[in-house]
Amino acid sequence: MARPQGWFALILALAIAAAAVLASFPLQLGLDLRGGSQLTLQVMPAGAITRVEREQLEAVQLVLDRRVNGLGVAESTLQTVGDDQLLLQLPGEQDPTRAAKVLGSTALLEFRAQRPGTEQEMQGLLPLKRQAEAVLARLEGRGRQDPAPASPPGQEPPPAPAFPSEELGAALTSLGVSVPEGASEAEQLTVLLDEVNRRVVALYEPAALTGKDLVTAGRQQRTNGPGWDVTLGFNQQGGEAFARLTQTIAGSGRLLGIVLDGRSISEASVGQEFAAAGIAGGAASITGNFSAEEARDLEVQLRGGSLPLPVRIIEVRTVGPTLGAENVRRSLIAALSGLAMVAVFMVVVFRLPGVVAVIALALYALFNLAIYALIPVTLTLPGIAGFILSVGMAVDANVLIFERVKEELRRGNTLIRSIDTGFSLAFSSILDGHLTTLISCAALFGLGTGLVKGFAVTLAIGVLLSLFTALTVTRSLLRLLMTYPSLRRPTYFVPAGQLPA
Amino acid sequence: MALTGPLFRINRYRRLAWSVSSGLCLLSLLGLTLSWLNPAIGAPLRPGLDFTGGTQIQLQRSCEAACSTIEPDQLAQALRELSLPAEDSVRSPNLDSAAIQLLDENRTVVLRLPVLSPAQTQALIDGLGGVLGPLQTSGTEVNTIGPSLGRQLLNASIASLLVSFTGIALYISFRYSRLYAFLALLCLAHDVLITTGLFAWLGLLSGLQVDSLFAVALLTVAGYSVNDTVVVFDRIRERQRDLAALSVEDQVDDAVAVTLTRSAYTTLTTLLPLLALIFFGGSTLFWFAIALSVGISVGSWSSIAIAPTLLAVISGGPAVPERSPG
Repeated sequence: MARPQGWFALILALAIAAAAVLASFPLQLGLDLRGGSQLTLQVMPAGAITRVEREQLEAVQLVLDRRVNGLGVAESTLQTVGDDQLLLQLPGEQDPTRAAKVLGSTALLEFRAQRPGTEQEMQGLLPLKRQAEAVLARLEGRGRQDPAPASPPGQEPPPAPAFPSEELGAALTSLGVSVPEGASEAEQLTVLLDEVNRRVVALYEPAALTGKDLVTAGRQQRTNGPGWDVTLGFNQQGGEAFARLTQTIAGSGRLLGIVLDGRSISEASVGQEFAAAGIAGGAASITGNFSAEEARDLEVQLRGGSLPLPVRIIEVRTVGPTLGAENVRRSLIAALSGLAMVAVFMVVVFRLPGVVAVIALALYALFNLAIYALIPVTLTLPGIAGFILSVGMAVDANVLIFERVKEELRRGNTLIRSIDTGFSLAFSSILDGHLTTLISCAALFGLGTGLVKGFAVTLAIGVLLSLFTALTVTRSLLRLLMTYPSLRRPTYFVPAGQLPA
Repeated sequence: MALTGPLFRINRYRRLAWSVSSGLCLLSLLGLTLSWLNPAIGAPLRPGLDFTGGTQIQLQRSCEAACSTIEPDQLAQALRELSLPAEDSVRSPNLDSAAIQLLDENRTVVLRLPVLSPAQTQALIDGLGGVLGPLQTSGTEVNTIGPSLGRQLLNASIASLLVSFTGIALYISFRYSRLYAFLALLCLAHDVLITTGLFAWLGLLSGLQVDSLFAVALLTVAGYSVNDTVVVFDRIRERQRDLAALSVEDQVDDAVAVTLTRSAYTTLTTLLPLLALIFFGGSTLFWFAIALSVGISVGSWSSIAIAPTLLAVISGGPAVPERSPG
């Protein structure tokens, strides 16, 4: 009788593992359970684009992600839904007005010429900007950083990303900004960078051209030498404006600033050769020795900044935290009391196997929760409903088995034989029932919307686990108990009156 | 033991069972049709916010012991007098059509309005402060759903229903036979029809609206119905092997009789958590639990009374012996 004990040990180990998982990974509650705001954004096709492509959706997501981070809502998430939608979740946020305003407005991408007579000031600011950006990127450990400027060849390579503290302090003082006592290096650098950017933008003339007229942005590897260029494509109106803009500053040493949401993301110089007609033809490239990644970032910013596809808010849901808490509490009470009633029912009707089933179902609930925590599944109200329903199916599997065992006993079979036959006969109907439910779950998950998906996920997990608990946990527990002769009594399974004499 | 024959023979009551089911189906169809013809609804079911789009605002008033009485007319009046900030993307909405509901002894106010922007919603809530008095901000719930999202939800629900029907039909044809698959889908249609019929009548009589949770409930009922039917079919198939000498009718009677206890137990154990949800669960899941309870009860009924009896009649009638040799 080593086999049931081996199974039992495995089940015990799984139960302990599940409990450990639950203790270390918290369950994730959906916004309908803990309160907060949820906005669904539809990315609308516009102009030449009739269908929203994956990369366009991601470009929009990237831009909006940065703006959402600016809102300062903890644990906010922005994820893509389907082909053309974004879902923004703001836990705890009761007033989505601000978020809606920030998301709804199109990012302002501007091309601005540097004002005459500011060359010297710019020359002072740009190295600071580069240095601060490089050090900040290193401190944050992120691979991405703002692209370097289009520096004419022959200029010195950028300094190593370091910023001695006294130098940093001097730079901050010279700009006339103060940082709070004890601010970290990264915080000081951020303050510095903000101030530098503000000053750089102040050196530009008003926008001659905005992202509205930018049709495409791309990147290409340089044909001569390493590095990448970022390419720009304008519509006709934009192309003309861009030609005029570049003509005014060509060869003058003044820079062309690319400003996104009031922040200078790139400064490019325009060569002497364009002094006659400017960069004409509606296409241009920013040559700046970009790495592949930097080029991609700038490309996405340019494309996203121009936001070729407008965004519309199509759904706003706000749930107050007390309402959410109330929902959790009530649904929990309902689930527990329902399960308690089922447990009483099972023990009364099925006696000893009923007790086994209750233990198996308790483990079933534990495994379910552990999987929710592990995947992780965000629990919503429909998700809880799916869980409760899957408990019903798990009970059904046990009922099917025990009814079969009873039938076999009534026919006069021995106890051990009845149990084995009962399990094998019930198996095909359990399998069919569970598989058909799984087919429904797959359809719901594949085609359903968010709410329906949450339901399908918990139901599917429940159905799969139910197959495991009914066929493995219940069975090996029962067989383990049957190794004790004192428990091997048919009357523990069926009332004596139903047994053949 | 099988030779003594089952104590309960479902086929003796099949005419009664068919009449009951046909009656319920006709009643449901009537409800759906009346609802469709009703100019105020114009659809088989009264569609809720999730399907029509709009803004629903739920406010909780903070009052000490009892909230002062407010008539819906007072609120309607206050709404008419409000002027909301105009926004370029959203036309200034017409608030005359607002549906106003007061719940929990005037404690909770539910407003159903055309689509409002977040700023307009805030302006509206602020504007109603004069009539409602102080509000518990933590109890505020605002849902805005664009009309396109509702259509998307409806299409997604119908598509997933059709796909899961097809999948289930293929599976049963593969595991059993095409006749079984047909009968399982017939039962499924029967269960879904009666559940939607009930909600059509509820929509007609008490103005109940169906939301996306109702669509979830229907899909669950569909899955459950097939599960129930499959268990009975599995038993019939087994009986056809064991009792090949008997007529199909007797095999069916026997199979139904032995699965009857199981069906009763299973329905009961599934209903227990649902009943708990109905009685103790939050208001959000109340109608969801009702839809599931009704659908699962009807599904249990059809798996016992409809699918097996139709199988007995269609697959040859009483006198024809089974084609497989014993």
